[in-house]
Amino acid sequence: MKDNELKFSLPMLDAPRTARVRFRKVGNLQYISHLDLQRTFSRVLVRAGLPLWYTKGFNPHIKMVFGMPLPVGAESECEYLDIRIEREMSDEEIKDRLNAELTHELAVAEVYPAERHFCEIAFAEYEYTVHTAGADEALTARVREALSTRPLTAIKRSKSGEKEVDLLDFVHRFTVEATDGALIIRAVLAAGEGNYLNPDLLITALREKTGILSGDPMQESYRILRRRALLADGITEFR
Amino acid sequence: MNEKISQVLRSVQKPGRYCGGEYGATIKDKSAVKARFAFCFPDTYEIGMSNLGMRILYGVLNREDDIWCERVFAPWVDMQEKMREHSIPLWAHESGDPLTDFDIVGFTLQYEMCYTTVLQMLRMANIPLRADARGESDPIVIGGGPCAYNAEPLADFFDCFSIGEGEDNLVEVTKLQIRMKEEGRYTRAAFLHEAAATIRGIYVPSLYEVTYNADGTIAAITPKYDDIPARVEKCIMHDLDKSFFPEQVVMPYIEAVHDRIMLEVYRGCIRGCRFCQSGMIYRPVREKSPEVLNKQARCLYDATGYEEISLTSLSISDYTQLEPLTRALLEWTDRNMVSLSLPSLRVDSFSKELMDRIASVRTSSLTFAPEAGTQRLRDVINKNVEEADLMRAVRTAFAGGKTNVKLYFMQGLPTETAEDLEGIATLASRVVHEYYQTPERPKGRSPQVTISVSCFIPKPFTPFQWEAQDTMEMLEEKQAYLGSKVTDRKVRYTHHDAKVSRIEAVLARGNRRLGAALELAANEGFCFDAWDEFFDYEKWISVLERTGLDPAFFANRAFGLDEVLPWDVIDCGVTKEFLKRERARAYEGNTTPNCREKCSGCGANRLGGVRAVCPTGCGGAK
Ligand code: SF4
Repeated sequence: MKDNELKFSLPMLDAPRTARVRFRKVGNLQYISHLDLQRTFSRVLVRAGLPLWYTKGFNPHIKMVFGMPLPVGAESECEYLDIRIEREMSDEEIKDRLNAELTHELAVAEVYPAERHFCEIAFAEYEYTVHTAGADEALTARVREALSTRPLTAIKRSKSGEKEVDLLDFVHRFTVEATDGALIIRAVLAAGEGNYLNPDLLITALREKTGILSGDPMQESYRILRRRALLADGITEFR
Repeated sequence: MNEKISQVLRSVQKPGRYCGGEYGATIKDKSAVKARFAFCFPDTYEIGMSNLGMRILYGVLNREDDIWCERVFAPWVDMQEKMREHSIPLWAHESGDPLTDFDIVGFTLQYEMCYTTVLQMLRMANIPLRADARGESDPIVIGGGPCAYNAEPLADFFDCFSIGEGEDNLVEVTKLQIRMKEEGRYTRAAFLHEAAATIRGIYVPSLYEVTYNADGTIAAITPKYDDIPARVEKCIMHDLDKSFFPEQVVMPYIEAVHDRIMLEVYRGCIRGCRFCQSGMIYRPVREKSPEVLNKQARCLYDATGYEEISLTSLSISDYTQLEPLTRALLEWTDRNMVSLSLPSLRVDSFSKELMDRIASVRTSSLTFAPEAGTQRLRDVINKNVEEADLMRAVRTAFAGGKTNVKLYFMQGLPTETAEDLEGIATLASRVVHEYYQTPERPKGRSPQVTISVSCFIPKPFTPFQWEAQDTMEMLEEKQAYLGSKVTDRKVRYTHHDAKVSRIEAVLARGNRRLGAALELAANEGFCFDAWDEFFDYEKWISVLERTGLDPAFFANRAFGLDEVLPWDVIDCGVTKEFLKRERARAYEGNTTPNCREKCSGCGANRLGGVRAVCPTGCGGAK
């Protein structure tokens, strides 16, 4: 039996501190919604026996703040979660304790003191792996052209309703290549608060414009992997 | 999970139901195990993941190195459509492998209305529906759970059933199959025969001959071989402190119906309500000790991180060690922000102290189950609850700031009269009245009393197993009558669908002849009949008619006291003599003391049991 009571014997910090957790969400777990992820983490944090800080008041609860949203059906290597700790525990130990309670598809890569606010995230780098019929140079050129020719329209849904947008307004830069019968698209897309592109929309738009992925869904498939979160310069990695 | 399924998940609702990858799931190397067991729950993932029995048996089977048990749930209709479209067979949650790769496919049968889903799952798995159509390479299909006590309607589709608590015999069955395969003497027939002859609690329907009288009742149920038991005795775990306890829980990502720690405090029930099947088939009562429970709760908390512990048992306040248990729990739950809930409180045990301590009671609504509207009828059903108890309980609740009370009742009970129905409405109004009589009630708010009325369904192994269910017309008429008597604006009246209750009665008391109707229903696509949106009464009547079956024969006929009952082949511990005695007492309006006050000699004590209430060697044994 693990020692979940240990946390009560650790020295109290002068003030609660924020620890930033970077984790992956890949494989099967791309189908877990944000709400379910939140509930999962609220239990993982408890199981891990972390000295969590609870809000004061009538209904005490732990504080969790997540980074940018990730749509269901996309994988990621760079999900962020800020938690608050009230007793001494090293980042390394927090990481190990969390990983003992997680599967490899939802593993913690790093725990560190937060350097910047989530609102400073402006872009994210995505890698699309598209298994589609005839993924060759010709198709690569067509996709490249589609990603360079305005407008590449799509319907964007947000709280304020639906509107038609030009996706290229959200594409910072991209590369396309064909390898092993798959199309690899690397794209840096807007991912800031209030200026966020759901990476799946790019697939939708390319499907319409270039005909990729319009064959048998059992033969064709795609995968979206978010690799890094970037600052406004589109280069510096968010920490 | 395989790639095919993964891509389909992009286009179904709630893909989290299917994606797997849960923390705590057991993954084994399939080439290194000798038997693969697919444990199927014939309903959605969210419901199945809440089932305590499944958690236990999954752990029990996976504890064995040479067995890999995986979970299977019923895909929702949108997923079923995708599976048909892309020819994806039903798969197991952990490996994504089709069920035809498995050695044993088990179904837990929790309610009758899941039967059509069971059959639909077999079809989706490409396993022949009828047991006699399966070949040597097909898996063995085994059923268990409360409905296995009368599984006759499913007899055509199952190779065998595990009767009672399956912790031991499911492992034994799997091990026997491994052994016979290793020894090169495995055939389905030889295996089933040996299982039935040598493993306790294993019922193989094909090894019994059922003959019928001209009137459709059963003449005899006879084993086909000398070494097959005439009656199959259920299995129980004798010492619950020592029986397997799952320390690792599979943690669902999506919200399960019961997303909390379920701590099984004891099995069985001392009460003996005469309509209640659970109160009979789980006898004798066997308790766990508070020390073990506290340790198990702590272990589950550490393994899950759940913020609520629910003490589950049929009637939690009957646990003799409730006080020491809650005290031990509260010692660590409070500082960990974990709350306790006691979902099955009886009114006579509801106190201010409990209310203050227990979280479920911190919500604004409370639930009680008087079951009948008059004392006379409560005595008939042996629900030993007095109106004064109820009034005291609601007064405590109102004084403690509650405004909502929900009361459960049953209509159509044997001997019920108009007065009893009216009594339900009167009782509800008295509860409203009690609110205004309670000086400490919440200021400036008005009470809401909800009465939820279900229909009586005669269930096997209860003193009321022989009773006729009211006809649907009567049930509906009574529902309307009761509705007309509910005039208090503070009382909200809801009732169950009489049509569902009728089909449930047909299946609950059905015999093997119903197999034809179920097969036809499966062929016509019935599924999820436990869900209102899919249940279609007219279609049920139609399949019954077309297979020459009269629903009234099973539901609305009083079974003869000397009649051979379809479930006579099963021995659940409680004797038929006891059930007959209880039935007679019901008609005399006499109550029976609970097991703790006095043993009534039901027979269950001969099964044994540690920390049981039964006096050993009492009149229980015949
Ligand atoms: S044998 Fe007696 S005490 Fe035991 S369950 Fe039966 S009636 Fe109750």
